[in-house]
Amino acid sequence: MNEEMEQFERRLSRQPFRQVPAEWREEILAEAGRGSKVEGRAQKRLWLSSLVPRLSSVLWPHPVAWAGLTAIWIFIFAVDTSLRDRPSVVVISNSSPPAEIIVEVRQQQRLLAELLGPREPREADRSKSAAPRPRSEFTGILSV
Amino acid sequence: MRREPEFRRLYDEHAQSLYAFLLNFTRDESDTRDLLQEVFVKLARNPELLDDVRDERAFLIRFAHNAAIDLIRRRGTRERTRENFAAESVSPFAPANDPDEQIFRAELAKALAGLPPDQRAVVHLKLWEGLTFEQIADALAIPQNTAASRYRYGLDKLRERLRPLYEEMKRTEQ
Repeated sequence: MNEEMEQFERRLSRQPFRQVPAEWREEILAEAGRGSKVEGRAQKRLWLSSLVPRLSSVLWPHPVAWAGLTAIWIFIFAVDTSLRDRPSVVVISNSSPPAEIIVEVRQQQRLLAELLGPREPREADRSKSAAPRPRSEFTGILSV
Repeated sequence: MRREPEFRRLYDEHAQSLYAFLLNFTRDESDTRDLLQEVFVKLARNPELLDDVRDERAFLIRFAHNAAIDLIRRRGTRERTRENFAAESVSPFAPANDPDEQIFRAELAKALAGLPPDQRAVVHLKLWEGLTFEQIADALAIPQNTAASRYRYGLDKLRERLRPLYEEMKRTEQ
C-alpha cells in the first residue's frame, strides 16, 4: 500500500508545469524598478511630511514662548526690510550753482556778518586759546 | 532599482517555481502574472526584507502565498464561487505529446482544482517543490502536523479521483 502510494506520488511529481512566459521577465522587472523609484520618492515625501510633527513635538512644550520669539523675529525682519527699502541716495552735484543763487548766498552771508558784528574779539580769543597751557588753568577759567 | 542585478538573479532562479505555485493556486494566468509582479514590486520597494533570509525559495513562496490569499480575500464570495469552477480553468501543466499522458495531466489538473486551496498548496510544495513538511510549515506559516495532515488528505483525494485512470495506465505500461 505504501509502495503503491509512493509510486503514485512519483508519478505525480514527474508531471511538468508550464513554463513562465518569457516576455514577463522584462515586464515584471521593469515594473519592479519603477516601484522602487516610486518608493524612493515616497520616502522623501514621507520625510517632509514627518517634518511638521517633529517640529511640533519640539515646539509644543512652550508654544507661547516660541510664538513670541517668532513674532519678535518677524518684527525685526519687517523693520530691517522697511529700512533697507528706503532710498538713501546721496545726490552729489558736480555742476556749479546758478549765478543768482551765489549772489543770494553772498547777500545772506553779508547780512549775517552785520548781525554778528565785528570779528576782532573772536580773533583775539582764538589766539589766546591757541596757546598751550596746563590743565589746571582750565579749571580756573571754568570757575570764573 | 537599488539591487537590480540581485532582482534579476532572484527572478531567474525562482520565477518558474513561483509561477507554477501561483498558477496551481489561482488557476488563472492573469492573476498569476499580477501576483508574480506584486511579489517582485514589493521586494523592490522593501529590499531589506531579503537581508536575513536563509532560504530564498521558502521565503518567496510564503510571500507569494500571502499575496494569493490576499487576492482571494479581496475578491470575496464572487471568486469563491469561481474557485468551484476551477476544474474548468487553465491547466498548470505543460502539454504532453503522448495522448495518454495528456489525458492524465488534464485529469490531474481537474483533481488538483477540486482540492481546497490550503491542501492544494501543501500538495504542490511537497510534490513539485520537494520541500519537507518543516519547510512547508515555514513557508505557509502553519504547524508541521497541519502541513502533513493536509498533504495526506489532499493526496488521498487525488488518488481516489485518479485511481481508474492511473490503474489503467499502469496496466498499459506493464
